[in-house]
Amino acid sequence: MPSRTPPVAPAAIPELLGNRYRIERLLGVGGMGAVYQVRDLLREQFNDPQPTVALKALNDQFAAHADANALLYAEYALTCRLHHPNVIRPYSYHIDPASGRAFMTLELLEGPALDQIIADHPDGMAWPALQPLAVGLLSALAHAHDAGVLHGDLKPGNIILSTAGLRLFDFGLGRGCRGPLQRLPRLSRRLAAWTPRYAALELLDGEELTAAADLYAVACVLYELASGHHPFSRLTARQAMRMQQETGLQKPHGIPKPVWRELRTALAFDPAARITSVAALLEAFRKGSKTGWPPAVRRRWQPAAGPPAASDQSDRSRLDAAMKAFFRSS
Amino acid sequence: MNWSSCSQTDPGNQRRHNEDAILALQDSGLWAVADGMGGHRNGALASRLIIDTLGALELTGNIDQNQRRVRQALQQVNRRLTQDMTQVQGQPAGPVGSTVVILLATANRALCLWAGDSRCYLWRQQTLHQLTRDHSLLQQLIDRGAVTGTAAASHPGAHVLTRAVGAHDHLKLDSVAFMTQPGDTLLLCSDGLHRELSPAQLSSVLEHQDSSSGAAQLVSLALRGPARDNLSAVVVKISAGAS
Repeated sequence: MPSRTPPVAPAAIPELLGNRYRIERLLGVGGMGAVYQVRDLLREQFNDPQPTVALKALNDQFAAHADANALLYAEYALTCRLHHPNVIRPYSYHIDPASGRAFMTLELLEGPALDQIIADHPDGMAWPALQPLAVGLLSALAHAHDAGVLHGDLKPGNIILSTAGLRLFDFGLGRGCRGPLQRLPRLSRRLAAWTPRYAALELLDGEELTAAADLYAVACVLYELASGHHPFSRLTARQAMRMQQETGLQKPHGIPKPVWRELRTALAFDPAARITSVAALLEAFRKGSKTGWPPAVRRRWQPAAGPPAASDQSDRSRLDAAMKAFFRSS
Repeated sequence: MNWSSCSQTDPGNQRRHNEDAILALQDSGLWAVADGMGGHRNGALASRLIIDTLGALELTGNIDQNQRRVRQALQQVNRRLTQDMTQVQGQPAGPVGSTVVILLATANRALCLWAGDSRCYLWRQQTLHQLTRDHSLLQQLIDRGAVTGTAAASHPGAHVLTRAVGAHDHLKLDSVAFMTQPGDTLLLCSDGLHRELSPAQLSSVLEHQDSSSGAAQLVSLALRGPARDNLSAVVVKISAGAS
């Protein structure tokens, strides 16, 4: 993060923020921020049946920088531009008067993250369960890209299968790629950040975040869901390319061939060879394969009654069914 | 069996921040101490994440099922602190992690899980037993017979941990299971406490403590010394009766 002001030690994050949000539990720690479950005392005062929300604040080493609050605001602003059932809902942005610490509140997501689901399915998810998750995730990302928002840190831990459905979250490394959103503060190239196993080769080489980099990351996540393991194990894209791991990639069992063609293209190390898009991958997952699904499986995923639903509604039904199946089995 | 427990944590005499975190869930039969490490107070986040994650688990099964849930939860925390952690170029890439020692108890069985140098002691029939074995270079040196305990303690890297949550891509937890007896007292503590107090001092407090003040007494005793590190103690006393 660029800063001309020398960092000073910030006050520790208080247990009560903005005289309104009381920290109950630390939910997650990232490279730049931490997410807490908090009790919203205002909601509680008005007997809201769901008084708990999520709260994100920057970690101390970032909070120490002069423009930390602006950086967190950029994440809030980017998330606010997105209106999609599979993207987390932001609520508000504040600066705690006592500590000077910025924080944002968000929808509280209760349920396993995809890293847990992957761990629970060491041989990969079967296609009927995988397909609705993939469609939900890809449609969320396609929506973000359509809105001019790049994510920048797609990985299983940033996707939760909540009781309300799949949610993509943490746009902390995101950036606006079109229009006024591009003027929001963001991490400079000098202080680039990524999760090594999900960062596209060009990001590791210091290039700007692009939709193609998000595509590579989401393809890694989808491959991992389908097979139970990361396409290149613990290697970064650079290490895997040097070891020519791309040539040995195996189609995960159960993925229809047309879907695999798109997914494999999305996993290309060279961005110029990544000649597909999130929208094309989404379309491939939506269609599956007429020959790839046994008839019994196709019938199982038809809507219970009425005419064939529009694709989004159909996806929602599949996602609901997959979630129910997952929670029954866990 | 009945359990009663008490817990206490303190930054110590020389540190401003406390990177230890403790858990005492008597009704669930779950107690834990975590000692965080990492710059910029990130160690405090790591230890808190472990404790808050453990505290949110629904441990309604038998001790083996509960152990599996605890292990799964810690593996997930470990994965997020290691291979799935966002890395920021230009920021110190030092480890962010934490030791952990956990005690799970049911009617007459108990299980201790740990990684790192936070310890579990059992006080039984006037004898202090150290149930855990530190995952540290110091312990390795002693195990190899290369040095005596005294000489090893002065080794410059003696206190380097060989295991911790967040230290390696795959977390290895050690465990010890045992049958409990009425009158047993268990102590979970961070290294700040067990380095400050001798086994004789620990025994003296555990022998005479009542069920509500043992942890505070131990921390208070340790604070009379230099107490350079954070101090944490969780004391669990087991008595006869329906649990």
